Amino acid sequence: MLAAAIAAGATLFTLRVRLLVARVRAAAPAQRTGHLGRRVRNEATIVLGQGKLLQRLGPGLMHTFIFWGFIVLLPTIVIAMIGIVDRRATLPWLGHQGWYALLDDVFAVLVLVGVIAALYIRKVQRPRRFDGSHLGEADLILALIATIATSLLLWHASRIALGLNEWPRHWSPVSGALSHLFARNQATKVLERAFVWVHVLTILSFLAYLPRSKHLHIMAAAVNVWFARTGPGGRLEPLDFEVPDEEIRFGAGTAADLTWKEVLDAFSCTECGRCQDACPANATGKILSPKLLIMGLRDQVLGGAPDTPLVPDAVPEESVWDCVTCGACVQACPVSIEHVDHIVDLRRHLVMVESRFPSEAEPMLRDVERASNPWGRAQSERADWAAELGVRILEPGEPAPEYLYWVGCATSFDERARRTAQATAKLLHRAGVDFAILGPRESCTGDPARRMGNEYVFQAFAEQNVRVLGEAGVTKIVANCPHCFNTLANEYPDFGGRYEVVHHSELLARLVREGRLAPARQPELAITYHDSCYLARHNDVLGPPRELVASVGQPVEMRRSGKETFCCGAGGAHMWMEERGRAINAERVGEAAATGAQTLAVACPFCTVMLDDGVQATGDELRVVDVATLLAEATDGPAPAEGE
Amino acid sequence: MNILVCVKRVPLTGGKIVLTDDERAISTRHLGFTVSPHEECAAEEAVRLVEHHGGESAVLTLGPPEAEEQLRDMMAIGVDRAIHLVTGGEEWDPQATAGVIVEAIRAQAQPPDLILFGNESADAGNYQVPIRVAHALGLPCVTGVKAISATDGRVRCEQEVESRRDVYEVPLPAVVTVKEGLNLPRYPSVPGRLRAKRKPVDASTPTRPEPRLEMVKLRVPPGAGKQVEVLGRGPEAAPAVVGVLQELGLV
Amino acid sequence: MILTFLTDPQDEISRQAVTLAQGLGGDLEAVTLDGIYAPAAWAQAIVDEIQAGAPEAVLAPGTDRGNEVMAHVAAMLDLPLAANCVSVIPGQPASVTRIRWGGSLLEEANVHGSPLLVTVAPHAVEAAPAPAEVRCLQPGPDDGVRVLEQVQPSSNGVSLIDADVVVSGGRGVGSAEGFAVIEELAALLGGAVGCSRAVTSAGWRPHTDQVGQTGTKISPEIYIACGISGATQHMAGCKGAKKLLAINPDGEASIFASADYGVIGDLHEIVPAISAEIRKARGA
Repeated sequence: MLAAAIAAGATLFTLRVRLLVARVRAAAPAQRTGHLGRRVRNEATIVLGQGKLLQRLGPGLMHTFIFWGFIVLLPTIVIAMIGIVDRRATLPWLGHQGWYALLDDVFAVLVLVGVIAALYIRKVQRPRRFDGSHLGEADLILALIATIATSLLLWHASRIALGLNEWPRHWSPVSGALSHLFARNQATKVLERAFVWVHVLTILSFLAYLPRSKHLHIMAAAVNVWFARTGPGGRLEPLDFEVPDEEIRFGAGTAADLTWKEVLDAFSCTECGRCQDACPANATGKILSPKLLIMGLRDQVLGGAPDTPLVPDAVPEESVWDCVTCGACVQACPVSIEHVDHIVDLRRHLVMVESRFPSEAEPMLRDVERASNPWGRAQSERADWAAELGVRILEPGEPAPEYLYWVGCATSFDERARRTAQATAKLLHRAGVDFAILGPRESCTGDPARRMGNEYVFQAFAEQNVRVLGEAGVTKIVANCPHCFNTLANEYPDFGGRYEVVHHSELLARLVREGRLAPARQPELAITYHDSCYLARHNDVLGPPRELVASVGQPVEMRRSGKETFCCGAGGAHMWMEERGRAINAERVGEAAATGAQTLAVACPFCTVMLDDGVQATGDELRVVDVATLLAEATDGPAPAEGE
Repeated sequence: MNILVCVKRVPLTGGKIVLTDDERAISTRHLGFTVSPHEECAAEEAVRLVEHHGGESAVLTLGPPEAEEQLRDMMAIGVDRAIHLVTGGEEWDPQATAGVIVEAIRAQAQPPDLILFGNESADAGNYQVPIRVAHALGLPCVTGVKAISATDGRVRCEQEVESRRDVYEVPLPAVVTVKEGLNLPRYPSVPGRLRAKRKPVDASTPTRPEPRLEMVKLRVPPGAGKQVEVLGRGPEAAPAVVGVLQELGLV
Repeated sequence: MILTFLTDPQDEISRQAVTLAQGLGGDLEAVTLDGIYAPAAWAQAIVDEIQAGAPEAVLAPGTDRGNEVMAHVAAMLDLPLAANCVSVIPGQPASVTRIRWGGSLLEEANVHGSPLLVTVAPHAVEAAPAPAEVRCLQPGPDDGVRVLEQVQPSSNGVSLIDADVVVSGGRGVGSAEGFAVIEELAALLGGAVGCSRAVTSAGWRPHTDQVGQTGTKISPEIYIACGISGATQHMAGCKGAKKLLAINPDGEASIFASADYGVIGDLHEIVPAISAEIRKARGA
């Protein structure tokens, strides 16, 4: 009878797993090889070490107990099955180890503690991150886990009571204590059989249920973590336009277009909602929930017709555009789902094939392509900010400077952002750094087009800029804007452009460290620094801007800082899109004001504009200023007032 | 319907215009290029009319080799083929322009039913090429059209005059010049762009006759010599603004 | 003799053409046509006048209709036409200065042909008083191209063309809803709402609101441009304005070079403040 049960469980399990594997194999290709060392490290820290889960200590521990309990107790499944066949038999060697009996007890209890904690979180605390998750399914899974752990303890307890234990009672403290509930009699003999059958049958039912529920994550997640991105977070995977037209994959239009990594992502989702919690769009009332997006895609892959459009059938159209590509969701996800890649893939199809996107972004897309910058301004005016500053504009044929200062469109054309370039130029001159700008020959890096999904236009710019930089012999770039920085450093290598790229805060911080710039510090000036998503989260640049802040005043951190930073709202081409719901920038400004500081330091032209707009909307007493400007003021007195 | 759209490659000038050293052209060194805005709407309308009525559309330009970019852009939104009258980038006056366009039209295997132009080009703004073409071909011409519909070999055109619309109805074949606002040109899809790369361009190099409207040189107007009076910064300037409005008798 | 075709003898732009014609010296003959507009037929009437009177030059206003009729005249006579001129020096060849790019660039050209056909760029010169004698010509039968009906606009409110005050918003407004403050100010001043091309492309306002080279060309008493950078293509639409007030956060925006008055700052704060001040001034 055991054999029949095992066969049934195993068959149901296998049939479903075959279907899932087939879906993964049928999916579009993706490049996820190389960097073996990194992948092994990820498995160790994220899977075994439960690293991402422990970003939240309470729920993290809860899960760690259950996860490690599962690992440690795995052999008990076999032991139980052997025990069904022969009450006195057990696994060779391991079944006879007292320490293993101890571990069994301890971890079974930890599992139960974990389950109770999970139930407390779900039933009493009821966090918002579970909105939209299948709570019933979770309850069933927790019940099954509890049953398995409890039946194991009771089985051990009843065996001890019957004297079937091999080792002294004190090796199994919990089972030993429970064994006092049972007398050494016929009733206990029956219970012992009952407990082991319940244990095994529950496990086999769970086996069959596993691949049909979100508990599938226990298999998919480990694999998903292995295949997670090992390169920089800000880099998007390019599409290949060189293949014959019919073979070009224009992002994800239907379920059949998803790559195998995207399918695996969908299968790995546990509906925990940490991504939803981290999402700034979700936090400000937009429809987008990264969790619901992945769940929607999963349901479409598993149940939908392969040809139905993902947008709007699996994912509401609005939510695709709500995303600011800040990556907080990816950072929060314990199973390495890469939501931003999904969203960009959906955008790619909508923009490139269907020309379906928010109309207010159309001028930006047209302007980027025709005028080479998203503001549609004349490139001939690009270096106007540098007039009278003696900044060298690199002409074709001239020798390359040590540093090419890549100013960026926002900084060149926006009246608030350009002060950063003016300050940086003055500081670099003062420190004797050999630098030049491309001026009118610097076109948009293509970042806004790429984040909107127009990969075709982006690649045209990448190729053009790589050519210009190559002809100019540029090897080192200092980028003013984190988006340019990200694209130049992480994305242009895919197009043959390899440079040593630093952000302006990194170079300036180094100059201060080396004593080439000596700011006068105002210890009473409280400054709170807002981390740009593209600098901190996508590129791990956390220290240098803080060094600059500390060198001019007294730093005070916001609640969500460093890699936990809360987006300013401009990413994902949102600088050019309208925002529904509450404003992300106002939310962030509120957080800054709560620190009590009156200076809000930034390191990105988009953050400058968005947060300054936010301050004007909220009316808080906050001066939004770039770290370069702060440094310039501390180095040679206050900057001239605007308009002078 | 067989529709021909005529377009012109023009630079995107930005905030101020800079001339070449010889002052006979705009310095386009760092400028992007596009098709005149009225003409983009003409091309979009041609594509829509063909979608609705069947037939074929073609785009024609008189311009330098680089103007092929504009032809491909128009084909990317759905125009079927292109005719490129290739120049060396020199100025062609309206009569010469109209002349070669007429020749090119006469050389077509199938004469077009409808010839669409922008009301005037963004740069030279001579307002006369379409009318000259219509005359030479003996076709009726309606200008400044903001709405057009075709039924049974006739077109109904709404011409914008001040704030009203004047309605004309003429039989095809006809020449119609349109204005921006006629429609909202679609954003080209990438498959459309890729297909456009492979569509045929019929190129030829016409000879330029002597100009009768002969451009001698260009100059940037001196500006009204205005020195802006800054009334203030931010909302505090509001009283000063109202003061000005009161002086002008508007408040 | 200088023949001047006036599309409307009272209209400002027609009278500007008269000014330029008077500047050429010699006798001035002014004609007009009325009745149903039929461009080719009207042009034929003018051609008949030319053949009868043998003028040295023929001038007309550089309006859509003026340009259209004269283009027909030029085609019929196989003569060059210099459209939208700001100055004319007769001769063989004649020398004209005409506008390009809606007025942001000037072209000096020689015109080889007689008589000299010219249309006069709007607002290039002051308008003369209407000539004492204007003959009204009768057009002959038309070629089928004539106005069949006139459709008046359904919207209430002031039209851009007629408004004394136009308040316009550009990219800086940020959204369709952002135009509420612009509409409020326009309403308070009894004016019309305009916008730049970026706004129409973004889908925030219809093209009928667009002011610019390819939109509506306006000539209000005052043009209040909010959040508009001043691209030449936009300025071409508002150079007829008597006064220009620019509101922009960027003190170096090119619009300030063409403005009479400026306020530097965020329109979302400034425009409502102006509206509030107006209400205060009216004692509301």
